[in-house]
Amino acid sequence: MSATLKRFRTTEFYLSLFLLLMLIVLAVGAKGFYSINNVMNILNSFSYILIAAIGMNLIILTSNIDVSTGALISVVCLSLAALGKQGLPFGGLLIAAILMGAVLSTLNGLFITRLRIPAIVATLATTQIFQGVLPLVVEGSIYDLPASFTWLAFDAKLFGMMPASVLICLIVTVIAILFMKYSRFSKKIYAIGNNMHGARLAGIGVEKTIVLTYAIAGALFGISAVIIATAGQRVTTTMGSGLEMTFIAAVVLGGTSTAGGSGKIAGTVIGALILSIIAPAINYLGISQNWSDAIKGAIIIVSVIASASKTIRRKRLIQSPVVGKSGEVAA
Amino acid sequence: MSGAKARRTKKLTFNLALFLIWVVIFAVISIRSPSFLAPNYIINVMLRNIVEIGMVALAMTLIIITGGIDLSVGSTLVLSAMLGGMAAASLGTVAGVIVTLAVGAACGLLNGVLIAKVNISPMVTTLATMFLYLGLARGISHGESVYSYPFTGFMGNMSMAGIPLQIWMYAVLAVLFTILLSRTATGRRLYSIGLNSNAARYSGIDVNRHIILIYILCGLICALASFIWLGRFTSIKYDAGTSFNLKVITVVVLGGTSINGGVGDMKGTILGTLIIATLNSGLTVMNIPIDVQTVVQGGVLIAALISYAILGERAKKKRIIKVEQKVYNT
Repeated sequence: MSATLKRFRTTEFYLSLFLLLMLIVLAVGAKGFYSINNVMNILNSFSYILIAAIGMNLIILTSNIDVSTGALISVVCLSLAALGKQGLPFGGLLIAAILMGAVLSTLNGLFITRLRIPAIVATLATTQIFQGVLPLVVEGSIYDLPASFTWLAFDAKLFGMMPASVLICLIVTVIAILFMKYSRFSKKIYAIGNNMHGARLAGIGVEKTIVLTYAIAGALFGISAVIIATAGQRVTTTMGSGLEMTFIAAVVLGGTSTAGGSGKIAGTVIGALILSIIAPAINYLGISQNWSDAIKGAIIIVSVIASASKTIRRKRLIQSPVVGKSGEVAA
Repeated sequence: MSGAKARRTKKLTFNLALFLIWVVIFAVISIRSPSFLAPNYIINVMLRNIVEIGMVALAMTLIIITGGIDLSVGSTLVLSAMLGGMAAASLGTVAGVIVTLAVGAACGLLNGVLIAKVNISPMVTTLATMFLYLGLARGISHGESVYSYPFTGFMGNMSMAGIPLQIWMYAVLAVLFTILLSRTATGRRLYSIGLNSNAARYSGIDVNRHIILIYILCGLICALASFIWLGRFTSIKYDAGTSFNLKVITVVVLGGTSINGGVGDMKGTILGTLIIATLNSGLTVMNIPIDVQTVVQGGVLIAALISYAILGERAKKKRIIKVEQKVYNT
């Protein structure tokens, strides 16, 4: 009995409880929160946050990080707009975005593995380059985009009301969960995150795996960029800026350790859902939108403290004489 | 013994290389547009614009040397300036100053306690507090601007002997931090924490206390920088601090401080500050649009990182070969 209980008490379990609580509070306290329109809006932002967060999750699992995602998404969005202006249909846009995202992100991966630059610094540098190149190519924004460009946001609806981005998100999530569970590649990712040197000695091509991880994540960022870009008839140069922090927050909230090697897609799904609910929830609860960032930050801190206190307790129980922490050495 | 000596000479040449890079950039810009060389421009534009970033970079160097990072500096700066400005508007200047410093210290304290006591990784902690402080600043100010008061005006616009007060302050702080890091026992302890925090703990260093203290120090420096910032721009809005953290980290990393901790020094950070300052104002003088400047900054950062990587790789290879030979001989 208690053993099964223990197995249920994972980070995901507590997160879902928190989410449930949030949803109940909203049902009672916020009138109109469950209106079809609002729910569909939340689902749309949830889908692009989740798709990119899954990519970020892969990167963080290898104990790396990517702070250039926001700038990368801006670049992809703008290129998509330029292509969409020529009347390229949605399928073409999607393929172009996936390719672009993968290529740009591979660049990050190469910087990190070939030149041995720590991930946060390397992606910091590429952020500046992505951000700086954008306004040079385009003056301000691209607008008056044709209907073929905004097809996903306005015309493609499931059951006449649900945004099609949800379907894309569902496909990506299911593939990701299966991939993390059954593929050999995912085991390599976990191995590298847990102990890079050990993984290398076990015969895993660490560099190749990391570059590939970045490429896959980049493809996911590209998909996310398609949803963001095609939301309206105007694409600006700052569409993605700041989003990387939301993605990292979703991943961290979902219980993935930034030291790498532990974390699940299921956690990221709940993390992304909580983050995409906060802003509209605040609105419907009648609190000023100005407080949304503070609440986001507080939720992340509380959830991280909660999961940290759990591991501390476990450590005290089992291995009080062992001071060394895993993950610290690999840095 | 010889290893220590070799490292020392390498470090020297490294700072020298940074200095040479700075000289080259400076020379190229002044040849292409002589108006850059006017003392007035150098003091009032080039140096004055970088002071806040430079100050916070000094404290950030200490943090990065211990293997930590602080992403919340921009938000701390904005929050302390805002609460201080509001206190000054309702209770007077003295209250404003006290509140600003107290808020800065409190922000740093929260970061430090979460990192040292609760054992959350510095990046996650400061990422979360970045949201939190920024959000608090936005929520409390209702998204409106907070305005300068006499003390900040004094800090931001006063001159002493023809040179703005904030540059004097930066110079004093730079000297103090250099001494702190390279001449005191505390400085040595910070290095040892960055190289191996467990070993430092076992050799009797109170690691947690040191970490909490440097985060508080960083918060205080942010508060100090916020006086200058508020005085210089006469008003501050909640979004003023975006990407301030990345600018500060760029300066520190450019100065050769390793993000993994344990390697780096204050002189490098100061040189990095000078290089970025020269680039920013120099490219403006040459009428190069601000977006190109961002690209150039990113390019300089990447070039610096690649050169560190090559240098580090070479040093490592030498070491590895030596060890292997030893193994074969025995």
